[in-house]
Amino acid sequence: MEYWCGSVDSEGVFRPREGTPHELLLAVQSTETDMQAFSPLTEDLIMQSGVFPDRKEYIRRLREVMFHHAALVLADAVSGRDAELLQMVRTLDQMDEAINLLSERVIEWYLVTNPSFSQKGRKGSIKRVLPRIRRTRSRPLRGMADQLEGLAAARTALAADVSRLAGRVIPNTSELVGGLVAARIMARAGGLRKLASMPGSSVQVIGAEAALFSHIRIGSPSPKHGIIFQHRRVHNAQKGVRGRVARLLAAKIAIAARIDFFRGEPDEAFLRDANGRIDLAAGGSHDQN
Amino acid sequence: MIRIDGQLVSPGAGGVYNERMVKGYRVWDPFRSKLAALCMLDETIDLTPSMRVLYLGAANGTTVSHVADYVEVVYAVEFAPRPLRDLLVVAEKRENIVPIAGDATRPDRYAPFLEEVDLLYQDVAQPDQAGILIKHLPFLKRATSGPDEVSGPEQVSGGAGGPTAILMLKTRSVDIRMTPEEVFSGTVERLREAGLLIHKTCWLEPYHHDHAAIVCGIGDR
Repeated sequence: MEYWCGSVDSEGVFRPREGTPHELLLAVQSTETDMQAFSPLTEDLIMQSGVFPDRKEYIRRLREVMFHHAALVLADAVSGRDAELLQMVRTLDQMDEAINLLSERVIEWYLVTNPSFSQKGRKGSIKRVLPRIRRTRSRPLRGMADQLEGLAAARTALAADVSRLAGRVIPNTSELVGGLVAARIMARAGGLRKLASMPGSSVQVIGAEAALFSHIRIGSPSPKHGIIFQHRRVHNAQKGVRGRVARLLAAKIAIAARIDFFRGEPDEAFLRDANGRIDLAAGGSHDQN
Repeated sequence: MIRIDGQLVSPGAGGVYNERMVKGYRVWDPFRSKLAALCMLDETIDLTPSMRVLYLGAANGTTVSHVADYVEVVYAVEFAPRPLRDLLVVAEKRENIVPIAGDATRPDRYAPFLEEVDLLYQDVAQPDQAGILIKHLPFLKRATSGPDEVSGPEQVSGGAGGPTAILMLKTRSVDIRMTPEEVFSGTVERLREAGLLIHKTCWLEPYHHDHAAIVCGIGDR
């Protein structure tokens, strides 16, 4: 039986193990523990081993090893190539939210200074209205509009950065659905490792959790697509085949994510085949209709 | 357990998470901590200075810090990097907390670092909460045995005071298709099948909704 501070052989003799915290950790991690046959360290064993003068020293030494272990685990958690991409996508989505909220407010404000203004017929982003607002008499409002324009520019730049980084970190997934959507799916899954271990059916409904749980709970229609709806091949598909396209695309994303996670390089043959199949599903029944 | 004016407190240096202090003791808020809620609802639960505790689902170490105020040593298992960072900060200041960066569904990965414990506390909100508890039963001390066991029959029945396992059941994390009551009775059944004696169960109302505490002892096996 292997323990961090030593091992017990078949005759029940305890053999202490010495070393730095790192060496002790490596020694334990190189062995496998069979929980069926395992019996934990006992106070008798610890004290009989003669390695530790008292309980206090035992706990102190063990803590050294465990703090070292935790530090390694934490370092590993942020070392993945996807860690920064994840933060960038989340920032991007929050910027969108903030910009939308502020825009609404600024337009309300503008209405006060210019009562005849109506947004009717001016659909689209705030960008269309902003130049107008910046010509307002109200100085504070002009200041706010300037800030908003700055935010919108930062948002556009960040979106481009996300797309570019996604192309490097998750090349195959990005090739299928575009960098932005690929990064969003990955972020929502909780990282590349998580996405790579997800079945296609889960990928398909990532981002449609509310609909999914209401389906499971009260039997409302199941969602056909979550975030992947944002990809043009899904939302441009005709209604009759949209679910099929979403399902196929999700299945291919699941494979692409695994290639990205384990190999990290674009796989041309896979991409050609996958894209062909998806286009066929989207276009194939066009001909029939 | 120490109570001051009906409030649960623990002895120890304050300032872990901006907790209130009363007469030099740290107030242990039952609305924040499920273990505190259980102690408020069930006065027989006790943490004693000689206890060794295996705490699964340590999160950022707030409840762990209170437990550490009472007992000899707490082995605190947490997997997620974010809360783990906070847990390490708490553990640095309390020398009887042993932080374990590990996945509670895989005890084999950290088993060599643990020792026998008197209290096994399971607060990992995963679908298989009972399973996680059962996997850790090998770490729970067997009820006192051997030549020096001459204590009365109440010991044999595994009453309060012996090695204890507590499961904090978050019914909403098990299966949203089942009602909390169904999840609860299913879980109790599983623990019984695993050879545990159910000492006590209680819902943590009004402190935590849809949460139940299941206090068990180890059977004669």
